[in-house]
Amino acid sequence: MLSINKTAKENHLTISLKGEVDASNSVELDEVIQEALDAKSKYILVDGNELEYISSAGLGVFMSYLEDFQENQITFIIYGLNEKVMNVFHILGLDQLITIKSTKEEAEKSLDEA
Amino acid sequence: MIVTDGFWYSIFIIVRFYMVKLPQIQRGKIYILLATLSWLALLLVNLIRIFGEVNQMEGLISKEITWILEILFFIWLYIFFNDAINKNENRNFIDFIWRAASTGLMATGTSFLIIFFYYLLDDSRLSKDPLLKNFFYHVNFAVASIFLISTALSWKYLILYQRSKAIVQQWQAYEVILLISMFFVLIYQESFNYGFMFGLIFLIIYGVILSINLKWIPYLTFKEKWKSILFLVIIISCTVFLFLRLVAYSQQNIHFVNLSENLFLLGLFVFVLIYAVFSSLVTLFNLPTSSVFEQKLTEAISFQKLSQSIKPGENEEQVLDILMDSCMSAAYVDAGWLEIFPTEPEESSKIHLQKFISNSERQEIMELLKKTAPFSAYLSNPSIERTEYLYGQIPHEVYKSVLIVSVWANKNILGNIFLLKEVKSGFNNEMINIISTFTGQTSISIENYRLLNEAIKNERYKEELEIAQRVQRSLLPSELHHNNCFEIDGFSAAADEVGGDYYETYQFDKENFALIIGDVSGKGTSAAFNMSQMKGVFHSLVQLNLQPKNFLTKANNALSRCLEKNNFITTTYYTINTLSKQINFARAGHCPTLYYSVENGCSRFLNIKGMGLGIVRNNGFEQYLEEGQLQYQPGDIMVMYTDGIVEAKNNENSEFGYDNLKQLLDRFSALSAVEIRKKIIEEVYDFVGRESLPDDDYSILVIKFKA
Repeated sequence: MLSINKTAKENHLTISLKGEVDASNSVELDEVIQEALDAKSKYILVDGNELEYISSAGLGVFMSYLEDFQENQITFIIYGLNEKVMNVFHILGLDQLITIKSTKEEAEKSLDEA
Repeated sequence: MIVTDGFWYSIFIIVRFYMVKLPQIQRGKIYILLATLSWLALLLVNLIRIFGEVNQMEGLISKEITWILEILFFIWLYIFFNDAINKNENRNFIDFIWRAASTGLMATGTSFLIIFFYYLLDDSRLSKDPLLKNFFYHVNFAVASIFLISTALSWKYLILYQRSKAIVQQWQAYEVILLISMFFVLIYQESFNYGFMFGLIFLIIYGVILSINLKWIPYLTFKEKWKSILFLVIIISCTVFLFLRLVAYSQQNIHFVNLSENLFLLGLFVFVLIYAVFSSLVTLFNLPTSSVFEQKLTEAISFQKLSQSIKPGENEEQVLDILMDSCMSAAYVDAGWLEIFPTEPEESSKIHLQKFISNSERQEIMELLKKTAPFSAYLSNPSIERTEYLYGQIPHEVYKSVLIVSVWANKNILGNIFLLKEVKSGFNNEMINIISTFTGQTSISIENYRLLNEAIKNERYKEELEIAQRVQRSLLPSELHHNNCFEIDGFSAAADEVGGDYYETYQFDKENFALIIGDVSGKGTSAAFNMSQMKGVFHSLVQLNLQPKNFLTKANNALSRCLEKNNFITTTYYTINTLSKQINFARAGHCPTLYYSVENGCSRFLNIKGMGLGIVRNNGFEQYLEEGQLQYQPGDIMVMYTDGIVEAKNNENSEFGYDNLKQLLDRFSALSAVEIRKKIIEEVYDFVGRESLPDDDYSILVIKFKA
């Protein structure tokens, strides 16, 4: 079960994920990120505080947009991941490609610095 | 007298004995021969007696001989005709009735000839000769007997057409009664006593009871019914005429042997007459309803055609064809068509099997229907509520009543049948019922046909899946290469029929080995295919004996071109040199290897930097990898595994976890590789609470170093 919330703040877009991302709903995540790209957002934050689990399908979604983020110079930050999910990103090596912060404050601070 | 009885009886037995051995055709001729002989003997005996009477010579030949000869004559005739009819059982009813009528005509004709002959003779002396009269009497008697017996046996065939135990028993009882009545004359020699009357009335009543078996009549067509009425009238007339003739003879003659006062003959007269009268009346009264019966027969045949399964090579159209034909003939429609709804949303309905109506007329009627209730509501929303049929009037000059029947298959509406009649209220309940039945049966046939096609398709899918399974099984190694310096054991299970886990070994030479374990993102057939690409890449690159980091870089290059956009593969690649006891390895995003060191007395995860294959699809990949190196000692253990193991969930949805795995290896470090592997899997199953992990593929490879 997954619920995705989009909130637009002054200068950035926050995507909140709640629940589990697996093969059955990864397409929803894909759509949300695609919409954000189409809307030409330059700053995208992902709130992973309530993200319980992410499967390889979900990871694949993030991974497929890396090039787009780079080409369009989009700042993409994930924050608030729990230990387990963080570990998954770390083992795969995605933490070397995506900026991952622990808290919302840290993430927003990075935005300001970007 | 006893001597004469015995004499004839023994002849009877001997002949009967020989009868059994002879073939059918011969039998018939012999019976006829015997009958003719009996008749001739009868004639001779009677003529001699009359000659004696005329010339006042008494008691030359007893009357018993006459009766016995008469009985024999009847018996041979009966057997002959019984045989002849049994031989020709395949003829139809009309033939039987005609056969009886023609025999009657023949008998009557003969009788007429005799009358004519006497007319010609006028008042001559010859015409008064008692011997000649008796001769002709015997001829009349013979033809009457032939007619009666053959017709009675024709009736037997008709009565027994629909055999039931009761009817067969009835007839057999009747035959016994007839036989007894033949011999009656021997017992009661005077006619018209109470016994005789009682016997005659009994035969009349029994004849009436038999005559209600008229179940063959409905099967005649309209024309055949007319013919049979004609033939039956002929039979009735002949019967009456012959009876009167025989009576006339007995009244005319002085010197006379009355053959016709035989209960058997009279019984047959009665039976033949009553049955013929009943049949002709019932056939006559069935004439107006015969078309209904024929209609029912046609409907039954249509139903059978509709319920036959659609054969391979045919399609639904043919069944719908038959359905339209059946419906149209069942209701005697004046016009009709079948509208089939489109299967693709773009197409329009197709009109099939339009009969007796032009396109423009049809469109006119459709327009009218859309405006007339109750059709208007239905036509605008055909699949909302399941309506089986709809009928009513329309204000059209030609067509006054309309019946619309919907055809369904598998809860989807296929189309509508439109039937039109020129009369008002043209569709009665009977017609609507039978049409609904036809349509229902057609739906079943079409559903079965579609289900069968689906089942065939599913079989194909299953077969394809089995092929993918075979491919996937071939991905896993049949043997794990090693030498005496280390033990190795592996285990892998897939969540679906095919999975995305992979491990393999390669032997360079006596001391050098390569090992790989990998996990493709996702599950099922696509994961398995990606995995087979990984295997191909491994087998090509491993021959180059590259350093692990180099190996993975090149693998990433190759796979970046093969993998789909969202797919990646995690893997760890190891090289082992048992001479130098060195292990080199690099981790492409895979679960970190668990290593038990004897020196430290505990296990740890080999956490080197890594990046999954297919995530960075350019030259920048290499920088994300770190290469690791180890010197192993005897007793050290290396456990390689996929995330299915550590992510296995129990009933409370908590994962097995890395710590558990580490503790297990510490606990079982003294065991052999095989036992360690088994123990770990056991513990995982225990944790999960079942003997398989349904959510993910899981694999484990255990290596224990010995020397």
